[in-house]
Amino acid sequence: MTLPVAALALRRLLLVPLVLLAASAVVFGLPRLLGGNVTRSVIRSRSLASAPDPAAEARLAAELGLDRPLRDQYLAWLAGALRGDLGRSFTTRAPVAPQVLGAAGVSATLAVLALAVALAVGLPAGVSAADRPGRVADRAVDRVGSVALAVPEFVIGPALVLVLAVWAGWLPALGWGTADRAVLPVLTLALFPAALAARLVRAETRVALAHPSTVTAVAKGLSRRRVLAVHVLPRSLTAVLAEAGPFLAGTLGGAVVVEVVFDVPGLGRTLAEAIGSRDLPTIQAGVVVVLGVAMLLTLAAELASRALDPRLR
Amino acid sequence: MRVVGLFALVVLGVPAWPAEATDFANRLDPPSGRHLLGTDQLGRDVLARVLGGIRWTVGLGLVAVVASLVVGLVVGLGTGWLDGTRARVVATLVQSVVDLVVALPALLVGLLVAAVLGPGVVPAVIALAVMGWAPFARLAHRLTVAARAEDWVLAARSLGAGPVWILRVHVLPAIAGPVREAFTARFVGAVLTLAGLSFLGLGVQPPTPEWGAMLAEGRTYAFVAPWLVVAPAAAVVLVSGLMSSARRPRRRPWPAAWARPRRSRGSSTRSRG
Repeated sequence: MTLPVAALALRRLLLVPLVLLAASAVVFGLPRLLGGNVTRSVIRSRSLASAPDPAAEARLAAELGLDRPLRDQYLAWLAGALRGDLGRSFTTRAPVAPQVLGAAGVSATLAVLALAVALAVGLPAGVSAADRPGRVADRAVDRVGSVALAVPEFVIGPALVLVLAVWAGWLPALGWGTADRAVLPVLTLALFPAALAARLVRAETRVALAHPSTVTAVAKGLSRRRVLAVHVLPRSLTAVLAEAGPFLAGTLGGAVVVEVVFDVPGLGRTLAEAIGSRDLPTIQAGVVVVLGVAMLLTLAAELASRALDPRLR
Repeated sequence: MRVVGLFALVVLGVPAWPAEATDFANRLDPPSGRHLLGTDQLGRDVLARVLGGIRWTVGLGLVAVVASLVVGLVVGLGTGWLDGTRARVVATLVQSVVDLVVALPALLVGLLVAAVLGPGVVPAVIALAVMGWAPFARLAHRLTVAARAEDWVLAARSLGAGPVWILRVHVLPAIAGPVREAFTARFVGAVLTLAGLSFLGLGVQPPTPEWGAMLAEGRTYAFVAPWLVVAPAAAVVLVSGLMSSARRPRRRPWPAAWARPRRSRGSSTRSRG
């Protein structure tokens, strides 16, 4: 690909609304076509009646607009979405847009904090591991790293709760909103990317250390620390940057496990709950937000690595 | 790859462990001689359930990855082989779909498929396969494009071999090494995603002994019966650790393996010194 950056960015940006339109049509249509009786599951989520009265069912279908032809339903939703109105929740009847955006804000905070922690640990560990092979940092990246890469979030999360919250009592086990409550979810989320970042940076730093520009920097008489921080590190970030965009996007809508385990009111949990109660407007809104952000972040990561690494231009 | 084969054997070889037998007189029993890993809230033997879970967690992961591999290879080999302007447009389109799918988080796709089809085993495996084919397609595409330029492909072509024959007999064995590596790596990912989906109640449903689902069930009893949480968690970590440690290639590529009797001693001492 030798496209100029601006042309690439423009082409990918133009793709975003098209993909969102296609995705919204799929997420809108398929559950209504294949998903069985939506009204019945909505009633079930509101009351304990297992076989609801047909008249009540018909009333609810009319109220939710589910009795109209599918095409009319979709066009009405689309017209609303273009004005920023994403409809009302089937279960709570509250407007969906503010709810989903609020949840997305929580998830975004979680994702950014986790990424910051992961980079703050992973980058120095990776550089130092490559700088002194066989020493503490190098071995830690190997051993602690392989544990961190192998243990899934739904194991590490409950384990951290048990050790740090229940036994030691240092931190609250659940919730969101205060700094101490953010510690455990952020740690749980940061573990995997920290280990991955350390590995990727170590591999790239090994190459960068052998590069002639490093020899020049050392020959100029710069301190070891300065050579590593100013000359070597920027050359070692290509892979990490490429992974950072998808990680942020994935955490925005896909940190479901952490949000469920720690009771964080984020987008992933909102989506999972909406799926459980077949709350279609919330599902549609969440999917559109997550997909849009995921595409923009992937593009941003690509542009950033092109800006940093002249070889990719 | 050998480890994958081992897991496949275990999955097929553990047909019906009595994982469902309940014993209400002995609920939440701690580990003992009779129940090595204790019993759960319904008096079911935890060891039997963990062993029975191999079938679900590892077996379904394997099914999903094999399906992804087949689809990904067909797409990748096909688009990698296509030449000429019109064919290249098709290949570019397919590859941009691949790029899009690769960028999506696995758990999110699992959520979406569950949103459309409802939670369950089949939707979870479909979600894994929907996600999984793209990385294989991308890898196979790149490797095929590189292989197409080789002289032996030209030789096969000039002998009159058709594209399907060349791809199957010449290109596929040549690109098998990296594909095999990717397969092992993706297998771990598939097992973890599946367990994660089941943990959230969107994949395999209780009372089926799937490790993620067992973990979610056991969390309620974590304080009175920690073995309910520890056993499935340990099983997941053990499998994913085993798989990732087996990720590094043990065998050398063909030519180097041939040269081994003469060279291996000298080169290995040199690399150590």
